[in-house]
Amino acid sequence: MRPGSDALVLLLAGGIGSRLNILVGHRAKPAVPFGGIYRIIDFSLSNVMNSGLTRVGVLTQYKPLSLMRHIGTGEAWDFTGRTRGVKILPPRTGEKDSDWYQGTADAIRQNIDFIQANPSEQVLILSGDHIYQMDFAAMLEYHRHKKADITIGMMVVPKSQIHQFGAGIVDKENRIIDWEEKPEVPRTNLASMGIYVFDTAYLLRTLGRDKREIDFGMHIVPRAIERDRVFAYPFYGYWRDVGTIQSYWETNMDLIPDDSPISPEEWGIRPNPEAEGRPMDRAPARFISGCDVRSSMISAGSVIEGTVINSVLSPGVHVRRDAVVRDSVIFEDSFIGRGAVVDLAICDKRVRVGDGAIVGHGDDRDVPNHDFPGHLYTGITLVGKEAMVPAGIRIGRNCIVRPGCRPDDFQGRDVLATGESILER
Amino acid sequence: MLKPSTLAMILAGGRVDELGVLTHYRPKSAVPFGGFARVIDFPLTNLMLSGIELIAILSQYRSYSLINHIGTGAAWDMIGRYRGISILPPFKDYESPHWYRGSADAVYQNLDFVRYHDPEEILVLSGDHIYSMDYRKMIRYHNEQDADLTAAFLEVAPEEASRFGVAEIADDFPEGGRLISYEEKPRSPKGRWASLTVLCFRPAVLYEMLRLNQESDSYEFGRDIIPMMMERRLNVHGYKFHGYWGYTRTVDEYWQTSMDLLGPDPRIDMEKWGLRTNLEHRNIRDCQPMKIGRHGVLDNSMAYNGCIVDGTVKNSILFPGVRVEQGAEVVDSILFFNNHVRRGARLCRVVSDVNTHFGRDCRVGVPGVDTPGNVTVIGWNNQVPDSMVIGSGCTVYPRLSPDRWPESGMVDQEVLK
Repeated sequence: MRPGSDALVLLLAGGIGSRLNILVGHRAKPAVPFGGIYRIIDFSLSNVMNSGLTRVGVLTQYKPLSLMRHIGTGEAWDFTGRTRGVKILPPRTGEKDSDWYQGTADAIRQNIDFIQANPSEQVLILSGDHIYQMDFAAMLEYHRHKKADITIGMMVVPKSQIHQFGAGIVDKENRIIDWEEKPEVPRTNLASMGIYVFDTAYLLRTLGRDKREIDFGMHIVPRAIERDRVFAYPFYGYWRDVGTIQSYWETNMDLIPDDSPISPEEWGIRPNPEAEGRPMDRAPARFISGCDVRSSMISAGSVIEGTVINSVLSPGVHVRRDAVVRDSVIFEDSFIGRGAVVDLAICDKRVRVGDGAIVGHGDDRDVPNHDFPGHLYTGITLVGKEAMVPAGIRIGRNCIVRPGCRPDDFQGRDVLATGESILER
Repeated sequence: MLKPSTLAMILAGGRVDELGVLTHYRPKSAVPFGGFARVIDFPLTNLMLSGIELIAILSQYRSYSLINHIGTGAAWDMIGRYRGISILPPFKDYESPHWYRGSADAVYQNLDFVRYHDPEEILVLSGDHIYSMDYRKMIRYHNEQDADLTAAFLEVAPEEASRFGVAEIADDFPEGGRLISYEEKPRSPKGRWASLTVLCFRPAVLYEMLRLNQESDSYEFGRDIIPMMMERRLNVHGYKFHGYWGYTRTVDEYWQTSMDLLGPDPRIDMEKWGLRTNLEHRNIRDCQPMKIGRHGVLDNSMAYNGCIVDGTVKNSILFPGVRVEQGAEVVDSILFFNNHVRRGARLCRVVSDVNTHFGRDCRVGVPGVDTPGNVTVIGWNNQVPDSMVIGSGCTVYPRLSPDRWPESGMVDQEVLK
């Protein structure tokens, strides 16, 4: 057995990620497409694979079907074999001591049987929500070297953002001596990435202690630092929580420059194209005479007749003649009609933008969405899965067009003003 | 129908001299095509879509690339209790000490495999054409006519016909008719129907013909088996095919057929044809979406995931992992996996095999020279030096050592070994 390969991995993939709004209307956050051909969870799964770890449990809860189909047998990440594998662990209601997952620690507690059935020295607990590259083998080595009970992956973030995270104060040995969960007034800039290594025996003991401790950051860690060995494992690379529309969009845009901070292929991140179950393969992208494509990422199967600037296109996107796609993220098999403009928008799968329609119009980017002002306030317009945007319509900034929207839903309007939405009826 | 009734045998063994350096290290059927696939993906996809799931591939020339490409067969769903792709390499036993001496000999040497499966029809296909065909229609016709052999033909211009096996077909049915004559590569052809090497046999007759053919000294389906069956007045039918047919036998044909992939409404539409390849081969499934930089220009071209383009690409096909730097220009060219075109390099009418590096400011091919025979071919793993000048119609052998490059450059039609 290779050194470091004996840890069991538990991947928390149950979060709703509700700030991603209609992008998580029918899928869990880890299953949200990212970077053209990936889903967010591919980054965590590939990091696990590239760290030489071979046994993974994926804890699902919220709308898991898309995620389960994506993970499949786990073959895409080399998790198949006699002693290798990825298992989906849904909550089991109705059993004694089992119910919906109440929090991170509770979710792990409900799967103690899985941990016991897969003997290990350490358990690595991750979330499937982040875009990053990390070598967990090195983190496990560090954990053993420090003889730690818990090791937490931590990174420096701007103080203005620390209120979103668990924050740790460390001594010069990197031992965590104080902890604040989502502090209003930060005393440190060292934030938890939600990546934990536990000694397995310690984890089992801790979880058995008090069932009211349902969250690692809120309950387990603060208690542990008082009397056990809890260390910070410093991480210095690129790491993004793509939990908001703005950060999701920014992180996609980070893929585009020549010297991009994200290099999925170099990082060894693996997608699972076969999970889509298409009867044929995506052919290479086609660039028709007269097209203009610059500073963009284009996936196979796309056909570009018009203009694409500073955008990320998933497979099978068709941009018709005289159409312009700018500063946008377009998911699989969307169709941008002739002369249409898509500007600063995220279009989910199989969206059809009618000829001459404008999605993302006007300079009033700072007028937030009326229904979800906390979700859309930077100008980004969202178009839901399989929505049909009628020809010629003008849609403003920070708008939401619901998944499956039909032209009738616009009731003959030729303008959807900034901040307005077509929501579920 | 669980157990398959049709056995397909793909003739994939050959290396064709005219494709030159592209087939130094791989059989013709494994030559990359279409920006991400291989030539053999076309017949394999046709078989899959025709519901024919029991397949043997006869292969003897440098099979590794082909074996690697076929993998488990899962890419074409040909994996299961009654589904599968078997690769049949040549072997020695105490009856036969030979390599495959020809296509018919290859099948003959594997007759025990064929008999074991006891098929109702045997479909013999060439592994090196670009086309989309539903073999079921032809097999249905074959069975309706109770034929001993049904062969598919395509109508060609008389002046082109002499390169092929040429037949005259009776106008018996809309789909085809009895073969009136068959000539292999005739100087002045009587017919205008060219053989596609898509042959459907009645097994018992095929076994007999192959046995008789062993007494001869030539073992080819086109040259020997079909004429032998005509001579014996067996029930041989021609099935008329009307779709697109692309040849890849010479570098010119390969280049021309590749160009049919381009345009707003291409003659070869791989997604419409339902094409599948093995995405595990060279791990192309793991390539990130292609990146186009601020200076990138793509015009009437196709490119797969994994490419990085910051230069100009016109009328060209880029396989995964090709890089075109800012200020470089690629025109009318086909670049296989992981080519790298450095700043200021200019390529025109070039077919370049995998892992070739074009140095800064080099010139390969000559713009405006677009007559046949003027495609320049670069073998794999080459480092074209900075500022090198290579004319049109040149050939560069694979993996040249850096000191082999002539300082004066290469004139048109030159071959560098």
